[in-house]
Amino acid sequence: MFSLNNHLELRRVTISSLVTCIYLPSIVTVISYKGLLYSVGNASSLYVLVLIFIAELIKSFYLNSNNDLQVKKKASKSRVGDIVKSIVFLLGVKFCFFIGIILFGAPVLEYNEETLILSSLLTLLTLFPLIAHTGVELAVQLLFGVKTFPRDTIIAMLVNNALLTVCGAWLGAVVIPLDWNTPWQQWPIPCYLGAIGGYLLSNVLTVTKVTLMSAANKHPFLGIFVNMMNKLHISK
Amino acid sequence: MKEKWNFILYLVWFSYLTLSAVLMFGQGFLLSRKTLNDVSECVPLENFGCDGRLNSSEKFSCTESSKIQRILAYSSSPIVCAAKSHRVLFVLVDALRYDFTEYNKDNENPLYYQNRLPIIQKTIERYPERARIFRFMADPPTTTLQRIKALVTGSLPTFVDISSNFAAIEIQEDNVIDQNVKGGGEAILLGDDTWMRLIPGRWLRSHALYSFHTWDLDTVDNEVDSKIYEELKRNDWDLLVAHYLGVDHAGHRYGPNHPEMARKLSETNVRLKKIIESLPSDVILYVVGDHGMTETDSQEWKNSEGDHGGESKAERTAALFAYHSSGFSGDEAERISGKEVQQTDLAPTLSAALGRPPPAPSLGNLLFPILPNMPVAHTLLHLSNNLKQVTQYLVRYGEESQQISLDRLAQLINATRDHIEKGATVETEDELKLYISNVRALMENIRSIFREVWVEFDSLSMLRALLLLLLTVFFNWIITEGIPAERIPHVFASSFVPSGLISMAVCVGICYTGHYLEIVDDVGHAIILSTGLISGAITCVLVIMHWDGITQRWYEGRSQFYERFARAALFASAAILVSNSYIIEEGATLSFLSLTVLGLMAWNIGNIKSLVLWAGFGAVMALTRSYRGCREEQGDCWTAGEGVATGNASRAALVIALGSVAAVVAISRRHVEWRGYGIVIAGIFSCAHWAVGWGSLGSPSRSKMLARGAWLVIVTMFVLLWRRDGKGATLPLVVSGLLFYLANTLVLGASLAPTAGLALFSGFLALNIVSMLKTEGSIKFSLTTRCNSSMACLWALLASYNFYGTGHHATLSNVRWAAVFHAGDPHYTSFGNIISVALMFIYLFGMPLLFGATVPLLALWGRNGASTLGPRTQLAAVFSLCLKFALCFAIRVFACALSATIHCRHLMIWGVFTPKLMFEVGSCTAALLGTLIGATLTAWHIPNQTRSS
Repeated sequence: MFSLNNHLELRRVTISSLVTCIYLPSIVTVISYKGLLYSVGNASSLYVLVLIFIAELIKSFYLNSNNDLQVKKKASKSRVGDIVKSIVFLLGVKFCFFIGIILFGAPVLEYNEETLILSSLLTLLTLFPLIAHTGVELAVQLLFGVKTFPRDTIIAMLVNNALLTVCGAWLGAVVIPLDWNTPWQQWPIPCYLGAIGGYLLSNVLTVTKVTLMSAANKHPFLGIFVNMMNKLHISK
Repeated sequence: MKEKWNFILYLVWFSYLTLSAVLMFGQGFLLSRKTLNDVSECVPLENFGCDGRLNSSEKFSCTESSKIQRILAYSSSPIVCAAKSHRVLFVLVDALRYDFTEYNKDNENPLYYQNRLPIIQKTIERYPERARIFRFMADPPTTTLQRIKALVTGSLPTFVDISSNFAAIEIQEDNVIDQNVKGGGEAILLGDDTWMRLIPGRWLRSHALYSFHTWDLDTVDNEVDSKIYEELKRNDWDLLVAHYLGVDHAGHRYGPNHPEMARKLSETNVRLKKIIESLPSDVILYVVGDHGMTETDSQEWKNSEGDHGGESKAERTAALFAYHSSGFSGDEAERISGKEVQQTDLAPTLSAALGRPPPAPSLGNLLFPILPNMPVAHTLLHLSNNLKQVTQYLVRYGEESQQISLDRLAQLINATRDHIEKGATVETEDELKLYISNVRALMENIRSIFREVWVEFDSLSMLRALLLLLLTVFFNWIITEGIPAERIPHVFASSFVPSGLISMAVCVGICYTGHYLEIVDDVGHAIILSTGLISGAITCVLVIMHWDGITQRWYEGRSQFYERFARAALFASAAILVSNSYIIEEGATLSFLSLTVLGLMAWNIGNIKSLVLWAGFGAVMALTRSYRGCREEQGDCWTAGEGVATGNASRAALVIALGSVAAVVAISRRHVEWRGYGIVIAGIFSCAHWAVGWGSLGSPSRSKMLARGAWLVIVTMFVLLWRRDGKGATLPLVVSGLLFYLANTLVLGASLAPTAGLALFSGFLALNIVSMLKTEGSIKFSLTTRCNSSMACLWALLASYNFYGTGHHATLSNVRWAAVFHAGDPHYTSFGNIISVALMFIYLFGMPLLFGATVPLLALWGRNGASTLGPRTQLAAVFSLCLKFALCFAIRVFACALSATIHCRHLMIWGVFTPKLMFEVGSCTAALLGTLIGATLTAWHIPNQTRSS
């Protein structure tokens, strides 16, 4: 059913998604137990971003470990150049997110710190894994639809994660105007949590889908669900 | 091209269906009360004989008290004029909330509205017999006009009166002023001219001033002050009404917690002190607030978590202060400060003080604690007068209206008659006390029953209207979304539209015949219902006839994600109208949704240019954010004073306004050929209008002349739009958009004029993005892309957003009436009313009008637009887009009506949902009118001959 390479990739996809499903909820749980959940938009919560950054970096190392064998001949100095380039690119993306969020209705002159934190989170969850996996050029090409990608690959998973993260942040804004006067309606907490929720949901869906796919080998009727989930995935 | 005018007729038909259903809903929903023009009459005491009979022949003499006792023994005797009358000084301090009058010595850091009226507390402490302070509970709606009506008639004004708020019709019912005049008393009016319009021609002297300059805190108050002390020295009057507006205006402009409010309240304090000192001994002073104001202090906003009950309480709790140097009746228990009394009680009390019977429609109780001391017999006389008047009212209301069931009315009438009879047996003080409380309980009961009825909705016609609206929306939705595009010209070339119109005419005829034969009672409802149902049936038949095409299209059709999302966004924007917090924040919501919809379209196009255009669109939206108004419910923004624009533009605002108009005119004039000259002239006129009228150096009369010039050019250009030049419809449509833009800038005034430019620009950007959308295959397919429903949804979202973007809000208090007067007072011309209504309509709903008129551009704009195709296809595309756009607004109105129905007992129904419904209906009307103009223009300008395509 699967080619060998595809099989390997699927395993990587599954494991990295599983890791995400574990580490993200645990971060959220820990900070909510510490009573810090409502300060999540301030600059003081930068450590959350650092934690996510480290986790994503480790994940991308795991996802790339196979590629390294093939591309071993790449010189180390070009790697440094790559890193610089991707950092610049990520900063640019972060700025774009910042502007975009303000255009969508975030306060212009106030709460800039909070907006910046939210745009960093979005960058971290959407484009950073993609760039770490593919490199800047390919990421840009994927972004503008110049290159297509096959289904059930690592790239497909990453793109899906990114899209669902943005959707989650978008949906998070829905609760802000309500007059419940709860502390979690403060800007940008709903969007922040929405982004994390979207990312998590995407990973959970991936794990479920892979599980169902392997189960469908034994019980073919489960294939219906796999097809359904394939349709669910957002792609252009 | 038989279908050409059928398209237009169908749009008219659709508009009629929507608006008639809305009208029917409004008739059931906006509460109404039957006004009776009865007048209370009373017979002077001298006409009674000592046996208590009228014109009795017995001639022996007796004391007044024993005479009254005898009269009371006859329960069927008429209302007797009270023996002794006083003079009354009635000071109405607009929006005097109860807690403004409280004084707390221990409060070290009083807020701006606290401890500013120490005179009231001091007077009460010094003379507990002479002064009273009560909570004066107003019934909603708490607008000044309704309150004045309630105060003088003692009845419960309903919401329908609100719509006549600014056409201020004379009160048709009996009221205190009329009673005073009937009794030979004289009345004097100082202050707000609303009184003058409500009750004209009854005043001995009046000094009424225009009251709607809400940014003017002092003029009216100073004028009243300049007269009132003089008047107090004279004694040719019996009732003096003085209406101070400053506190209300300070509240509207700055909110309660502001230094200006402190200033106004301190002024009031000084004023009261002076009045009390110079008050003649036979005059009773009543100082009342007609309503309160909302508490928008930012700290309290956070304290009262999610509790809105408090807010409405703050609006309803006014203050009532009474002072009489000879002292009032009532014992300790009755004069506790802060006791709650109803505003309806004031009218009978005032009448009693003036020695008159209560006004005929009054449902109030007598407030003895604020009436002078009097003997038991006189108290009983007043009570029995009150009961008799209410009995008469109950009988008459039962005759005139079926709102209350006859059983219930009969029960109430019997109860009041029982009480009248019981009155004769009361002799001692204790019995009197018991009797008074019994009467009060009875009157409270009557009042609550009437309150229930006058807050009772006509649910049958509301449901019928909702059903009709649903029917219209549903079948038209199937027609636009289902019937394949290539069949539409054939459908409309057939006899479908004429037969529909003929059947509607038949319906109207049958209804009138039924009305003539007295089978049908309410001919208006019957017409609306029958035409709505028959139209539903006809469209249903059309749908059934084309079911094959519809199913085929739905089976084959696979819409893009952005299309589905656009539809979902429109439905979401309609669905959230059920929640008051989303209505309050609707501006932000609509901008969020339209930005997302357009963003997905740009993403679908997927090139840099479209993304840049989208970012520009977002930037324009962000710029309009600073012009968006505030409403009271948006706590922080409102208290920051951004709520009510001052109407006077600052220098920077003027420069921006001139720049925006100049830019639009300069850029657009090159592209619209000879019509550009008209645009330029109108633009120059409006710029000159602002520049000449600006600041203290400006000349208002010349500025008004220039504004009239601008209007003249705009109207002329609009007429010239109908000159055919055979070059297609795009150009005239663009020009009509520009003309609407110029009209909008004129009515918006210099301070808000840039918003109209921003709206136009956002529409332009959206059009460009839309025209870049990818089309698969041939140009035929491009047409299906260009006129699918997502475009109409986007356009409808934009039109709705720009209502907020131009600084409006869906509240009655946010409406600025200055727009009517920018080109001089239209009431001096012979058809002034029409002009002022039209100006107000453009001012409020100019944006839906603009966007409605430019709907056809969505199909025609750009290189791959429909304008290159044959006229038939073009017209069909334009028509289906127009219908979809109109449908979007119909859906939103339906959602509004539905939410008003669901929330009809909600706390915020009059504050949030009803105004939203009214403004949404206005937007819908404007959008329908706009689409009609746009579609007619297109049909007019599209060449007649069919090219072979």
